Amino acid sequence: MHLSRDDLSPDEKTFARLENRVLRISANGPVRLDLSGCGALSTGEIAVLARLVGDADERKIKLELAGLPESLRKALDASLGALLSQEAATRPSESLLERMGEGALLVAANWQGWGRRSADVASAIFVDPLVGKPWVWRTIVEQMDRIGIGGVPLVLFISLLVGVVLALNGARELSQFGASIYIANLVGVTMTREMGPLMTAVLVAGRSGSAVAAELGTMVVSEEIDAMRTMALPPNRFLVAPRMIAFVVMAPCLTVMSDICGMAGGYLIAVPGMGLGSTNYLHQTAQTLSISDVVTGLIKSVVFAALIGMISCHEGLNVAGGAEGVGAATTRAVVRSIIAAIAADAVFTLFFYLVG
Amino acid sequence: MEDVIRAENLVVRFGDHMVLDDVSMRLSPGEIVVILGASGCGKTTLLRTLVGLRKPDGGRVMMFGRDLYALDDDERDETLKRIGMLFQSGALFSSLTLEENIALPLIEHRHVAPQVAAVIARMKLALVGLETSALLLPAEISGGMKKRAGLARALALDPEVLLFDEPSAGLDPVTARALDELIIELKRRLGVGMVVVTHELGSIEAIADRAVMLDRGHVIAEGKLSEVRAKDDPQVRAYFGRQATRDPDGGSRPIVDLLKVAGE
Repeated sequence: MHLSRDDLSPDEKTFARLENRVLRISANGPVRLDLSGCGALSTGEIAVLARLVGDADERKIKLELAGLPESLRKALDASLGALLSQEAATRPSESLLERMGEGALLVAANWQGWGRRSADVASAIFVDPLVGKPWVWRTIVEQMDRIGIGGVPLVLFISLLVGVVLALNGARELSQFGASIYIANLVGVTMTREMGPLMTAVLVAGRSGSAVAAELGTMVVSEEIDAMRTMALPPNRFLVAPRMIAFVVMAPCLTVMSDICGMAGGYLIAVPGMGLGSTNYLHQTAQTLSISDVVTGLIKSVVFAALIGMISCHEGLNVAGGAEGVGAATTRAVVRSIIAAIAADAVFTLFFYLVG
Repeated sequence: MEDVIRAENLVVRFGDHMVLDDVSMRLSPGEIVVILGASGCGKTTLLRTLVGLRKPDGGRVMMFGRDLYALDDDERDETLKRIGMLFQSGALFSSLTLEENIALPLIEHRHVAPQVAAVIARMKLALVGLETSALLLPAEISGGMKKRAGLARALALDPEVLLFDEPSAGLDPVTARALDELIIELKRRLGVGMVVVTHELGSIEAIADRAVMLDRGHVIAEGKLSEVRAKDDPQVRAYFGRQATRDPDGGSRPIVDLLKVAGE
């Protein structure tokens, strides 16, 4: 079969046509490709020849390239292995058992790292100040501003809407029994015990947890963390501990605001919206709420904040792989923080249900 | 005189990939040792291992006569305070001004009053010609300035040893030359021992007292620069002759030959 350079074009249609011709001819015996009129070949044309030879080998087709300069034939033969080898691009295949083993080791290493970091951070917060290593107040104040003050508008707005939604949902059912005033109970208890701390946790994880993971991850990529280590400035004390303190202090503050705003949302629906008396509504709310409801919510918010802070810092400091790694760590931080907060909430609720 | 750094038979692996294989080297007080070799030969990994950032899988790093990786946290911190490191990108803390970057270790480790630390920081910045940029953030200065500021920070605690990771990489020839002169000046004035990782021939010739040449994780030549140059090894000859090696990574050469022949 005589080939011109046009036949060796690497575009999909031409290559498929050539492959089909070779396959057809191979049914009648060995295939001989005459390339004598082709002259010097481009990279794409050489790639077409290499692929044809490789495929022919795989299919046990006898393929002869005639009319190629001897030097080119030899060079093509010598490089076929490197051109068509799969090993360079893929890892050697591992058995399922090996992959499971590697996965288990990775998980174990991650938990070990998590445990070590938690211990280091606890030591930096509670022990270091006693041995002459004070808290890094400047960073703490900065982070309180970012995590707490910066998050106020978002928390207020979302909590107001949550209160509105709770009241509207309750109003439909309660008004059927002439018990609309109990909207105050519904909104008050739900906001202080559940929705206030949980919504605050979700918002803090999404807004500040992601920011912390991305910031620390970028510091890893730009070698700032390595620089700290070589300067004997432990990242857990200088970066993680201040953020943890800021999370744990600011989350309850945001939760209180969330509680108040959520109840304000309920008020807006019940009083101006449904015509309930303002004094009655406020009186009902005050009667319903107990200190234990508020304290329970605040304890929850502290635990959620600690989880979000640790997860976000840990993911940020474990970044590997440049910008893509920072993005992945940020996503992991938010997802894991929210899962951890909701799981902790479930545990809390079960505990309080059991102990009454 | 006792070596300030002595690496003994270091082995570092990343998974199955051997990055350093039985690498040994030493640094005497006041000398400049250049670690050189082609990209990917393990230079930066060696430097990171020397400075405590990558625990070796085998061998040990003796720093000031003590095994760096066998020290407890406090002892290790005390050892690290005696060294300074300049990272390839400068690695300045992005949220702090240049002055604050330099003042931070002074305040934390020497308990210097912040207002005094600021003055010391200006002095260190003056050493690298950046005293007028003290109040700028790292994002507001050029790459060359970041490296110089990184060097000023590395000098903050008056270290006995300085380590440099490719100080002139990415710099124009004039700035790179200025940095080389600064390194020589620091050695002359402060008597600091230095380990410099680089593959810039100009820098190597300008600053090296001794050189350690790596190839694929092995030391293939060590000694005075003239001795390393004279080594009868194809990689060494190719490196100093600025010639491409026949088979740098062991396998891709036939493809290049094929493309050459095809184009003839």
